[in-house]
Amino acid sequence: MQLQELLAHPSVWRGRSRAAVETLSTGFAALDAGLPGGGWPRHGLVEVLTPQPGIGELYLLLPVLASLSRAAPGRWCTWVSPPHEPYAPALESHGVALDRMLVVRTHSAAAAAKTSQRRRGDGVHMDIWAHEQALRSGACGMVLAWLPRVSPRAIRRLQLAAEQGRALGVLFRSQQFAHLASPAMLRVALEPVKEPGRHGARVTLLKSRGGSRAPIDLTWTAAAA
Amino acid sequence: MHPRSYRLKFPEPAPSGPVPSQPDDGLPGSSATPSVLRVRPASPPPKGPPEGPTGQAALKLEPRELWVAAHLPQLALLALRRADDTRPLVVVDSDDHNQRVVDADAQAQAAGVRPGMTLAAALATAPCEPRARDVLRERELMQRLAALAATFTPQVSIEPPDGLLLEIKPSIMLFGGLRELCRRLRDACRADAVLTQIGAAPHFTLAPTALAALLAARAGARCFITDPAVLPARLKPLPLVVLRWPTEQVARLAAMGVRTLGELMRLPRAGFARRFGPGLLADLDRLLGKRADPRARLTPRERYRGARDLDHEIEDHERILQVLEPLLAELEQFLRVRQRGITALQCRFHHYRAAPTHCTLRLAAPEASAERFMRLLRERLATLVLPEPVRRCELRAGALRPMSLASRALWSPGEHGHASTGEMPSLIEHLRARLGAQALYGIRRVAEHRPERAWSVAEPAIDDTPVNPPVPGAMPRPAWLLAAPQPLPASRGRPRHHGRLELLRGPERIESGWWDCNDVQRDYYVAKDDTGALLWIYRECRGERRWFLHGIFA
Repeated sequence: MQLQELLAHPSVWRGRSRAAVETLSTGFAALDAGLPGGGWPRHGLVEVLTPQPGIGELYLLLPVLASLSRAAPGRWCTWVSPPHEPYAPALESHGVALDRMLVVRTHSAAAAAKTSQRRRGDGVHMDIWAHEQALRSGACGMVLAWLPRVSPRAIRRLQLAAEQGRALGVLFRSQQFAHLASPAMLRVALEPVKEPGRHGARVTLLKSRGGSRAPIDLTWTAAAA
Repeated sequence: MHPRSYRLKFPEPAPSGPVPSQPDDGLPGSSATPSVLRVRPASPPPKGPPEGPTGQAALKLEPRELWVAAHLPQLALLALRRADDTRPLVVVDSDDHNQRVVDADAQAQAAGVRPGMTLAAALATAPCEPRARDVLRERELMQRLAALAATFTPQVSIEPPDGLLLEIKPSIMLFGGLRELCRRLRDACRADAVLTQIGAAPHFTLAPTALAALLAARAGARCFITDPAVLPARLKPLPLVVLRWPTEQVARLAAMGVRTLGELMRLPRAGFARRFGPGLLADLDRLLGKRADPRARLTPRERYRGARDLDHEIEDHERILQVLEPLLAELEQFLRVRQRGITALQCRFHHYRAAPTHCTLRLAAPEASAERFMRLLRERLATLVLPEPVRRCELRAGALRPMSLASRALWSPGEHGHASTGEMPSLIEHLRARLGAQALYGIRRVAEHRPERAWSVAEPAIDDTPVNPPVPGAMPRPAWLLAAPQPLPASRGRPRHHGRLELLRGPERIESGWWDCNDVQRDYYVAKDDTGALLWIYRECRGERRWFLHGIFA
């Protein structure tokens, strides 16, 4: 086998070159241009870091959620322990197919299992377990998870599960973890834009296989106002 | 059994008198010599037309079917009687608005209570205790009897409410002759603990047609007929009541002077059909074997039950799974040969002192694979709390359901656009096995103005239903909805949340729900806080006009 052939393999990535990964359009032209391969990876783990929840992390993903849920071989989208209720009318108005959505809440299960002398923080273990199962199953095209505490080892497992199940895993975390190393394929920091009259966010790629270094400004056209 | 009964008998004049009777009930014991029995020769089976006129005549006389009927007299009463009953007992049908007495026990009958009286009349006659009829218990007793009978022949049917019919002709050889078979059947029913305990003594009859056997059993008549030729003569004395025809028809016949089956059979066919309808005439034809009378077979429900006793107590989950593994393999084999799957599987773990621990596995789709059960049980057992070590494991499968076998995909899930919704049920079961059924849900939109009611939790749609087209929303709606509106502090009439809120859009008035006591009158605004997050807030239009946070445009 020629060296060139080997280097063209998708799992081989060399610094400063863009990896040849299968991608999905993000729905934002500026972001597509900045991301390696021109969009979100079709399978792999993406970390989205925000200073606080609710600054537009869902608007960042709604276009890809809509296109995945309407794709011809219907694959599911699973939400693991979302902080609030995903609001059906809003999702529907953004073109998301609601009958491909599955919400998993592990808090109730952890509360029920309290009698069995379980360790504290078992809810988080359950979340990670559910996230991994959903990614690995192959039934889901996308799995969103809100995990407050998650170790690099667990992220590594999730990344492998996403590759095995050929699913896009999204992990929402607080910005305070930005300085820690992470085995995720792509790490994205999101900051709200505070200028009056503009509604959007600034996306910085903390880790990517050959993506843009400069921050990318996005405007929520689909949002309010 | 005497070997003579297997031999082909020469035709002889059909006896007109009663067959040799036995002291107790309709079925004679094995000691008596059958006088009219004609059964197929044991060996060799006749190939082609038998030689000689005698053989032909014998085969012509041979009945095509032989039916045994079992009738449980006073079943309604037996089903309700308790050991400590002292007062006279009457049974009343709870569905009957006239409250007529269905049955009365011997004590009540002696006091003058008769079935068919109204309850008020019965109570005036004697101080008896009325009880509502228990149809379920009656059916249970009949099914018990049917299960006993099913060991003798596959063709068993229950004739509701108190009759049982068995076609025994094909089983005669196997059980060593007709009389031996009948004796064994009677003994099996007498030996049953439940039936003897309540004092149920079924009355058995044998006849070449199902209806004839049944009518004779209802009448309590002694009947052991194998020859169709003598059937009409033997049925003649039976009263019309045993037919259980509608009362007005029986009353009309009684007015015509027809009180027995013999008198009924004498009526001209055409006139009878004109007056009473062809349905009753068909009944008579079935009774005499002139018309086919197929009966539906009773098929017992099939369930898998398996248990394993342990030679020492265990409490480790992995060890328990090891014990269950052969049982699950057995279950898989059981299901595979029937091409069926199950949707519910119960495990029971028996302990030394504590009550058995139950653990039920529910599946979204019928499943038969031991490996799948094993995987789901592993998740379930991990969260199961055992009060004591386990001494015995028991596996009980739910009802069998038809299952279509699916082919395996060539591509791995998600590859080459391969449709992979097939994995979804298994993922849902897998998660539910560990997290509980409530932990997983789908969402759907509801046509409703009140924001908190515009969506609802739904069962995840596993089937591959076509996706509805999106409905463009006129007004912006947040992607997150708070489970409950959160009150916001306000200063000088302006709400605050992480600093002062800037109102960007609104108000959108939502006023709805006065009809179901969840009246909502709110003005909704889109607001932006100091951190740049977009919020969906509202102000009450009444009362204190407080501000609330209801959603986040995330």
